[in-house]
Amino acid sequence: MNLTVNGVTHEIDSSPLTPLLDVLREELGITGAKAGCHQGGCGACTVLIDGEPRRSCLMPVGYADGGEIMTVEGLGTLDDLSPIQQAFIHHYAAQCGFCTSGMLLAGQAYIDHGGTDDEEAIQNALAGHVCRCTGYSKIIDAVAATARGDSFDLTETAVGKHTTMATGGAE
Amino acid sequence: MAKHRGKGIAAIEYPTGMNQNGDPSQAWIKVKPDGRVDVFAGTADIGNGSKTIQTQIVAETIGVPYDWVTYDNSNTDSSPMCTGTFASRATFVAGMAALKAAQEVKVKLLEIAGKELEIDPSDLEIIDGEVIAKGAPQTKMSVADVAGAATFGHGELITGTGAQLKPYSTIIDSESGAVDLPPHSAISYASCAAEIEVDDETGQVRILRLQQCYDVGRAINPTQVEGQIEGGAMMGLGLGVLENCYPYYPGVEHRGGMFGSYLAPGMEDMPQIDTIMIENPSADGPYGAKGIGEMANNPQPPAIAAAVHDAIGVWITELPITPERVLRALEAKEAGTSEPRRKGKLVVFDEELSVNAVSSGGMRFEVPA
Amino acid sequence: MKVVGARIPRYDGTAHVTGRTTYVDDVRVPGTLWTKALRSPHHHAAITKLDTSKAEAMEGVHAVITWKDVPLLEYGHLAALGIPADEPLLAKDEVRYLGQPIALVAAENEDLAAEAVSRIEVGFEERPALFDVRQAFDAEAPEIHHEGNWYKHFEEEMDRRQIRKGDIKWAFDNADTIVQGVYRPAAIEHAPIETQVCQVVPEANGRLTIYSCTQALYFSMGVVAAHLQVPLNKLKVVGGTTGGGFGGKVDTATETMCSLLAMKSGRPVKWRWTREEEFLCSSTRAPWHMEIADAVTKDGWILGRKMLTLHDSGAYSRFSPYGLTKHSFHHTGAYTIPNLEFDGYVVYTNRTPTTAMRGFGVTSVSFAVETHMSRIADVLGLDPIEIRLKNANRIGDTSPNGIVYTDPSTVLTIQTMAETTGHELPADYRTMTSEPRSGDLLPEHLVAQLGNPEEH
Repeated sequence: MNLTVNGVTHEIDSSPLTPLLDVLREELGITGAKAGCHQGGCGACTVLIDGEPRRSCLMPVGYADGGEIMTVEGLGTLDDLSPIQQAFIHHYAAQCGFCTSGMLLAGQAYIDHGGTDDEEAIQNALAGHVCRCTGYSKIIDAVAATARGDSFDLTETAVGKHTTMATGGAE
Repeated sequence: MAKHRGKGIAAIEYPTGMNQNGDPSQAWIKVKPDGRVDVFAGTADIGNGSKTIQTQIVAETIGVPYDWVTYDNSNTDSSPMCTGTFASRATFVAGMAALKAAQEVKVKLLEIAGKELEIDPSDLEIIDGEVIAKGAPQTKMSVADVAGAATFGHGELITGTGAQLKPYSTIIDSESGAVDLPPHSAISYASCAAEIEVDDETGQVRILRLQQCYDVGRAINPTQVEGQIEGGAMMGLGLGVLENCYPYYPGVEHRGGMFGSYLAPGMEDMPQIDTIMIENPSADGPYGAKGIGEMANNPQPPAIAAAVHDAIGVWITELPITPERVLRALEAKEAGTSEPRRKGKLVVFDEELSVNAVSSGGMRFEVPA
Repeated sequence: MKVVGARIPRYDGTAHVTGRTTYVDDVRVPGTLWTKALRSPHHHAAITKLDTSKAEAMEGVHAVITWKDVPLLEYGHLAALGIPADEPLLAKDEVRYLGQPIALVAAENEDLAAEAVSRIEVGFEERPALFDVRQAFDAEAPEIHHEGNWYKHFEEEMDRRQIRKGDIKWAFDNADTIVQGVYRPAAIEHAPIETQVCQVVPEANGRLTIYSCTQALYFSMGVVAAHLQVPLNKLKVVGGTTGGGFGGKVDTATETMCSLLAMKSGRPVKWRWTREEEFLCSSTRAPWHMEIADAVTKDGWILGRKMLTLHDSGAYSRFSPYGLTKHSFHHTGAYTIPNLEFDGYVVYTNRTPTTAMRGFGVTSVSFAVETHMSRIADVLGLDPIEIRLKNANRIGDTSPNGIVYTDPSTVLTIQTMAETTGHELPADYRTMTSEPRSGDLLPEHLVAQLGNPEEH
């Protein structure tokens, strides 16, 4: 079968029941989507199929036949970062980075479907994505900022919305 | 059938560096012919951002722009030893090694520049990639040219090495626990105020807000410190109300094998997190920094437990504070069996949990009468 | 341009957001074999039979390892700290926790490896298991560790970590109230989004390249070198980029096991844990059992603390003695308590060995002592912030084991929190500082514990 990933069509040798995640990572060497759990529980394997976020770890590749798959590699490159990628840099929404590709794609799909900077709506849209490092706060900030159409200074990260700096000690 | 709000606080402290020290970190630096700086360190970045922190420290210490510095921690052939990224030591201990290496590089750059400019190195400083004569800013030379001169004129390789090791602090009296040296590099402090809501019908505890104040010594990168504080808050929340490897501890039944059955905090568990960062510099950390990575998940569970008591008048001292535990505690309160035992001066809580209630005599906990 | 203190974006930020960061599972080496483990299905059992021949005979299986293949079977990760080795890399005569690795298979693909594991013939004789640390000391408790049910190698072969300070009896005799409580935080998982993973490549010159997700490259390299009995330059650990660790990727054994498989098969070998293995077989944060009795005065001074800690180490020691020691040094929290009687035990149970996790040793004591402090305030009818400020560490106060505090910021962080939350403090509390105790803040019972901050 053929698989179209980030605009490029590949001929696939793997059997149609092979999880899409394994085809992407092992057969095609496209490693942006991560194997976090292979149980559909963490979201790190998320790819977009025809613009919809899907758990590639649970999807037999045969099911994706004919669909347009986008992985994080298709979102943007170093020379041409998409707004949401810029937002994740500026708002420090990635620490270890392992959940990041899934968060980016789910966030992008949310925005493409008309999502706004409403925090609760963003939480709802990304609810199935687990992050262990960031505590989610800056991920929400980044998606909200992208939805608002903010532009991003990539030379400096943003101050957290509920952060105060103070100096203490001997005066 | 109501929701009850409650508030609780906690104030904590946490050491920087491995307990009792003896945990070295090392770094070495070389300067390329165009002045660009290569740092080699063995510190793993586990998401905490140590690559960024050490690079900032090196850039600041030498006096070159941040983007002149590349960082390689990728393998043990080229990187020197680092004990590891744990014990909140990456910024202080590993960072100090990088700082020391950078100081050596700076001395050597100034030596070469001094020869080139015919000025005593002690009268020179490095700002933004330029070596400048103090008080005579028109007399200057770019670090790029200094490095070029070193390589092609003086036949020198500009390097720096740094090793940070606080000597092992030995327990000199096993009866009292006394040690011969402070067993830490620094101590950080924090406080947390939790605001929660308990549903007395379902038993669920929702964390609404965490107001947290952290003394981090010096925030080398304030946004990254926020990241640790916010991420730690969710991990502390998980320890407080959600997560348990053994739902029937000490029994081992029904361990959760998936994210749906093991309850790591999700986006919808997020409270509002207010962060106040205080900088009360450490005596000898890099630019006054102290550790933050671990303590970020310590103050929430006790603040939450106190808030639960404030909300519904029960003390739950087994974590996590699950709906089952809340409902059982409320039942006990209804039945009047949750009061502590009082006898003379004694106010005794949690007797049913004590070793005294479970052991057949091998272990007891008794108050000196 | 100032760099320290600036909000510089992550060094690897662009790599993270473009999917270009290379984690161990992204490394591609042609000819790599996949690994599956035979793990104990029992909490506690003797191994009566172990026959790997049928697995080895399978087409596509290139190596099977058991305890026999390990040059040094037991190596204590913290041997340098005096913690003796007690855990075999692969189980030999017995298994002490469900999930304990017994044998490993390297094969052409995961399915083959799993099939080969199922063909390993293994026999067990179950033994009674111990799960409750409170019962570990009882005469009738099953003995589950070859040295007994609790660790006995603290300094001078003491069987507990002990802190003594001042005169605990005086404290309890002079207390107005004694408040007792029991605190039991649970074992939790590190649950990083990247599971445990390792890939080892045998190089042409006899070296091994170890791609590892370890939090500690040199630490893990030392462990491999010890088990394999080789010098450090035989190994090259490649890593430095971990998909979350939180303390769970320090006591890893995957590097050693993959090294053995790579050496035996002559092929690159990779082992990626499933999420189920990560949840059910990986080392956890320890559950702790802490009992506290505080001798307090009616105006909120804590005169003394007696504390018992039972640290649930799981089946083997790993880092537990270190964690308990750290715990003992901090068992007064952020407060100055002059009379102390602390006893802590590292107790073995038949569960997955526990390990370091974010805050190791102190997370537990912070939960216990802070909740206890809130309780004391409630019992005495005192303001929970004021009682903390009163007892808070100050310059010149000493820690449980006699270290002088030179710059504590407990007072500052609590006052800041009070102000932030709109908690009105009386003037004398609002103006408190961390300066050395004097006047009302230096009652007689705190004099003896004072130390000289200049001497530190």
